[in-house]
Formats: sequence, structure tokens, C-alpha cells
Amino acid sequence: MTALLFSNATLPGSDDITRQEFANGSVMLTRPNNSSPAVAIRGYLPPGSAAEAPEKYGLANFMTSMLMAGTSRHAFRELHDEIESMGASLSIGAGGLATSFAGQCLREDLSHFLKIIREVFSEPSFPAKQFQRIKTQLLTVLAIQAQDTAAMADQAFDRAIYREHPYAIPDLGFPQTLQLITREDLAAFHQRYLGPAGLVVAISGGIQPQEALDAFNETLGAWKNINQQPQPELPPVEPLRGITREHIMLAEKSQTDLVMGTFAPKTTGPDYLPAQLGNEILGQFGMMGRIGESVREKAGLAYYAQSELGVGLGPTTWQIVAGVNPKNLEKAIELIRGELSRFTSELVTEEELADVRSAVVGRLPLSLESNAGVASALLNLERYQYSLDYIRELPARLTAVTREDILRAAQTYWQLENMVIASAGVALDD
Amino acid sequence: MNEKLITFTLENGLTLLIREIHTAPIVSCWVWYGIGSRNEVPGKTGLSHWVEHMQFKGTSQRSASWMDHAIARLGGHWNAFTSADWTTYFETLPASALETALALEADRMRGSLFDPDEVETERTVILSEREGLENDPLFLLNQAVQLRAFREHPYRNEVIGAKEDLLALTRDDLFGHYRNYYQPANALLCLVGDIDPQQALSLTQRYFGNIQSQPIHKNIPAPEEEPPTFERVDLRGPGDATFVEIAWRAPKGNSEDFFAFTILESLLTGPSSLNMFGGGGISNRTSRLYLALVEKELAVSVNGSLNASTDPGTFTINLTKHPARSVCKLLSALDNEIEKIQSKPVAQAEIDRAVKQAKALFAYSSDNITNHGFWMGYANSFADYSWFTSYVERLAAVTPEMVADTARKYLRPDARVVGVYTPNGKEL
Repeated sequence: MTALLFSNATLPGSDDITRQEFANGSVMLTRPNNSSPAVAIRGYLPPGSAAEAPEKYGLANFMTSMLMAGTSRHAFRELHDEIESMGASLSIGAGGLATSFAGQCLREDLSHFLKIIREVFSEPSFPAKQFQRIKTQLLTVLAIQAQDTAAMADQAFDRAIYREHPYAIPDLGFPQTLQLITREDLAAFHQRYLGPAGLVVAISGGIQPQEALDAFNETLGAWKNINQQPQPELPPVEPLRGITREHIMLAEKSQTDLVMGTFAPKTTGPDYLPAQLGNEILGQFGMMGRIGESVREKAGLAYYAQSELGVGLGPTTWQIVAGVNPKNLEKAIELIRGELSRFTSELVTEEELADVRSAVVGRLPLSLESNAGVASALLNLERYQYSLDYIRELPARLTAVTREDILRAAQTYWQLENMVIASAGVALDD
Repeated sequence: MNEKLITFTLENGLTLLIREIHTAPIVSCWVWYGIGSRNEVPGKTGLSHWVEHMQFKGTSQRSASWMDHAIARLGGHWNAFTSADWTTYFETLPASALETALALEADRMRGSLFDPDEVETERTVILSEREGLENDPLFLLNQAVQLRAFREHPYRNEVIGAKEDLLALTRDDLFGHYRNYYQPANALLCLVGDIDPQQALSLTQRYFGNIQSQPIHKNIPAPEEEPPTFERVDLRGPGDATFVEIAWRAPKGNSEDFFAFTILESLLTGPSSLNMFGGGGISNRTSRLYLALVEKELAVSVNGSLNASTDPGTFTINLTKHPARSVCKLLSALDNEIEKIQSKPVAQAEIDRAVKQAKALFAYSSDNITNHGFWMGYANSFADYSWFTSYVERLAAVTPEMVADTARKYLRPDARVVGVYTPNGKEL
């Protein structure tokens, strides 16, 4: 097994994580950090943008943006005054499958802060004045995004790879669909889908488990929405056939952003850990792995060039992203394809495997040193239905991954003749 | 948490700061050099940042991939940053691997190769980095505003350097810059985390003790205390959103005015963390300018930015204009709010609230060992560590009169640069 440079007992496990299910369908996990004066909260609950109707794309994100625009008890300014006066912060956003939220506060304010979070979720008033203002803000965000080469390349990639699947649609929707959304749509969507069934909250920081449980029990644990419906099941994705090339033309841009990719293995499936270690070798380890070495270090073509393995409950992707001068775009694609060819035809070396295994294990205490890092890790234990000792067991699981496992995963998911290549920048012949 | 700081200076002038924090089996090692774009001269902008890139390219003892893999294999992370005032390198890794970080940093303090082929490869990487920045209208606007906010002081230049300079700089320029500024007497080593101080001191002596310091020829610009004269700069480019940036002169970090200015910034545009690694922010929905500009639908967003700098710098406000309003109306409403804070003392309760927010931001960023390493070095770049430890206390000492005085002194309508980015095809 990979030699550990730290004691496994310092990682979160069943002896220091408290997990509690509540009658309303919610789950809370907590782990204390006695040295901290603050508390981090991470959570998710239904719905996500996958529950939207096509003519109302952007509805889930618009609804979550409006949750903090005012409640039946507090107008916009009063609500934010409550939060900001505590020195607390709360952000809420919609993803494909769920609404996620992140917050933090000083430990003495936790009970009050959870009360505010419950109010925001359960009693939004969707005030008319804020509705128009936030719609304008969202339209402005879309306008800014339309000039962002990285965002546009990402969107082109998602459209090409997911096609008819809901994940092909950007979470923010489109200007024309946002314009059609009414306050009534937001209220109906909220009432139908947002509720405690499926709510998971992780709390980490200077608070004892019983105090956290009590505070949760009185607030989010007592929340009810009798109208809550399950959101629609996600359809399957269609496998890739052939190479799809997309380019979004944006004038007067110095850099072109590139996204190349395919579908990733299921996060909870047996191929995931081999793919994770393989991805480290391909485009993460050290200065962006083999891809970084080839495209940035040797050829000097890009400031960044790396691979990214998706994680999530729905279908995810395995991508290579790079930012290059427009005249170097084709050369960068060629170099990346060369690395992919090697990755899918040769075993990684023993040294490479030992390096990345050691890196992934060694990174654990660093990723878990902050309250936010611990809260995010606890949330993932619940999201993927891992045991409470999963993090402590991870080093042994990674040790069991072989070079052959990695090659098998590489060959299963990367096929040079089946992939999406998307870019955004000046016209290709410029 | 042990707040005690151990300070030690080696014979060669290297200053060592050690702080023990035993909450996680982690250590963060930071080397801060007193060199940044502030010390660069016209025609040679971007040198400090490019040298920072070359510090990852290997030494006679260690190849680039050896260094990179040694840290990554431990699960550690390392990086470097160049600012106007400093250049810093850090490694955060398991506590038992402190020696790896110290050996690496000592080696590259004097032993980096600056291989001519690597210099050329890196030229295109840095040009690519710059091209990525140029894609963003806010970078272009900030570049234009800063250029006018200072007459001569190098704070007017972007840290990454001007494109024409990046095309012209030579390997000799870079190596000369490196050999002159990368010396123990121009460096501060900060060690924080699960550390045995005696062992850390002994390792520091072993790896850094034999490095000799040579005389340093440091280009120190005259501080530009006087504010800019009023100027408006207009840029045009692709897109649909209009952005406005306003820059005023701001006090340097190590001045009494800085703390009153921090409260002033918090009241106008919301609290902000000075920490590069965040720890999370607090929203600004109840700040005066949000209420006056965004709530009144003149702007879609408002943000402020104040840095603790070595010399007097700038305080900037960035606005995204509401699509149905004019820049003129937006600026007029902004001026009204500033006039209010200049003419009428704020309530003590507003200051108390800003202090509580600053205290919370400190708490959020303090559960991370890497952040502590940042603070130790950053505070020393323009003051000393007591600046950090007394920060909240000094904010609490700010009075309503001090806020009004500071607003009157710095936020003058005739002493600012206003930059406007207007999308092609739209009226100015």
C-alpha cells in the first residue's frame, strides 16, 4: 500500500462524523473542529435544471436567484441585513440535478443562520420589483458570458456531446427563454420541486455535533412541503459516433479556448478510480501531466492545457481544455491527439502510477484542512452513498488499481475516432 | 492556536518567521522576495513575472520535472505569484516533508538555469497568458485606467508586462534581474503549521545558511502621493455590456489612513478580504452603493477594490451599467453617495457592523494553514506581522469623523480617472 505521510486517523471517519436522518426526508452530517471560531455549511436539494420545460430553460437558476430576493417575513434589504450583519454569507445556485448552497458564519450565529436558510428555502415571496431587477442581472450575465471564449467553448462542447439530453442546455438558459419566465412560473416551480425530501446538509467547524443537530432539528429538519414532487428522471445519453467539430466565432479575441472530450465513467462505478489515476497522469500531475508537458512545457503553445474528469450523479464528461493563440489551435489539437493515442495504446509506467497514487493520497489532508473542505467531503459521502469510512479506505482502494486497469479505462472511454472538439475565438481562417 | 511568532535572522540577511499551528499534519513554506513590477523600469516591464515562471524550469541540481514531481508526489501543492510589490513562492505539504520544500527553495534562490531554449518557450507561454487576459474587457479597462492613475510610478503598469516589452526582453535581462534580486538579504522565509521550531531553524540554517548575499541594486520609485488629475478614458470593443471603472488614490497599507479607508470601502461597496486565498466573502447587498445604484436600477453590479500596498495605490470601483440607463446618470448617483459620506458622519453602528464583518472574514481565512503563510509574508511586505495581528483592533478604533475625513481627502471628483468600456455600435 502507498506509504502514508500522515496518520489515517486524522481523516474524517465513522468515529468523528455524526449522520442523522430526519422525518421530513432530510439528512445532516457534521464533524467538529474545535479550533475554529467559524462554521461552514454545504448542502444540496432538488430540483436542478433537468426539471425545466424547454420553453422555460433557466427557470431553476432564476428561481434559486430569487430565493434571496425577499421572504414572507423579510424584504430584500432586511434579509440581507440579517445575513451581512452576522458577517455570514450564503450562496445558492442550480446545477443539472440539484440546487446547491454554501454558507458560513461565526459559530455563535449558527442557529440564527440556519433559521434564515430555512426561511429562504420555504418562504420566498418572489417580489415583483426584485423579479425584474434579477432578470436584468441574469440577462447581463448571459451577455457577458457570450463574449467569454472559455464559456462559449464549454457550451458548444455540451451541446455537441449531450445533444437531446437536458445537460446540453446551459443552467442559465438563454435570453429568449429567460424573457418568457414569469413570477408565477418561479413560484409554481418552487412549490412543486423545492423541499426537504432529498435535502442533504453538511456542517463543519467550531460546533459540537449535538448543538448542530439541535439547531438543524429546529430549522431545516422541521421544514415541510406537502406539495413536493419528485423531479423527472434523467434520460440516458446517446453514445458518441464520429468526430464532431464545433467552433464559435467571437471577434477581437486574442486567445482561443479549446475543449476536447468524451463521456466519463460513472462516478460510483468500478472504472472511476482507474480513470481518476489515469486522468492525473494524462493532464493533472505536477504541471498538468502529459498534456501540460507536451503542449505548454515543450511546445510553449498554451498558458494552460490540462485534462478534467467529471464527477456527479448524472452523465459526466472527460475533457481536455486549453487556451491557445488562434494560430496554434490546430497544432495544439494535434499534440493532444498524440497524447491521447499514447494514453490509449500503452500502459502507463510503474513510476507514473506510483507518483499519482501518492499524490492523490497525499492531497487528502490538504483538501480537508478547512471547514469548507470537510463539509464538501461529508456532502459527497452522502451524495454517492459511500460509507462514513470511505475517505480512510481510499488509500487502500487506490493501491489496488493496476496499470492494466488504467489502460482498460482509457480504451473504454477515449476513442480517437469518437470525440467532440469545440473551440471559441476568432474565425478559424483568421 | 499558538499565536506566538518566532523571528530569526541568518547572518546572510535572510529573515525567518515561524508560527506553530498543530490543527492538521500540514506545513506551508513561503519565500517572499522584495521584488515586483514596482521595481521595474520602462521598456523592461514584465521581468519579475517572467523570472517567476523561470523559477519552475530547473536548477543545476534539480530538473524542472524533478521539482514538480517531488511536490506533487507528496500530495503537496506549490505555486508562485508576482505582484507590484513582491514575488512569492510557496509549498503546502505534509508536515514530515518540510525539508523537501526548504531544499528546493534554497536551491532555486541562486541556482536556476535560465536555459535559453526554455526562455524562448516561456516567452510564448507568457504571451498566451496575456492574450487570455486581453479577452476580458475588464482587464483592458483596468489597464487603461491604471496607466492614467499614475504619471510615472510603476503601479501604472500591468504586472504581466507590456506586449512589446515581452517580445523584446532577453535571456540576459531575465538572468540579471534574477541574480540581483534573488538573494537572502532580499528574502523572507515564512514557515507555518505542524512544525517543531528548533528543527525548522536547523533545516533553514543547513539549506540557506551558506548562500552569500551580494550588494543589491534596487530600483525604488518615488511614491506618487498626489492624486491623479481628472481624466476620462473611453474604450470600445465587442460585447453587449457597458463597464465603468473609477480609480482614486488610496493610502499605502502601512498608514493610519488605511484603516479608515478600509471601513470606508466596506460601507460603500461591501467588506472584502485582503487574502489571496479567500476563505469566502460576504455579499455587499446592503452596502451604500449597492442600494443606491443596483437597487435603483442604474447598475447591474458594483464592486470595490482596495489593496494594502507599499506605496500609495488606487481604490477602484467597478460597475456594470444597467442596459437601460446612461453612464452619466450612473456617475451622478455615485457622486451623490460619496458626497453623503463626506458630508455627514456615518453612524457608529455602521462601523461596528463593518468590524464584525472583518472579524468574520479573518475567522474564515484562518482555518487554512496556507492562508497563514500568506498573511505572515504579505503583512511584512509593507509593514510587519503586528499589522496582521492588530488589524481588527485598529479597524475598531476608526471613528465616524475619520471615515468622513478620509472620504473628503481621497474621494475627490476632480482627482480620479473614469474609464468606460462601451460595446461596439452603442452610443458613448
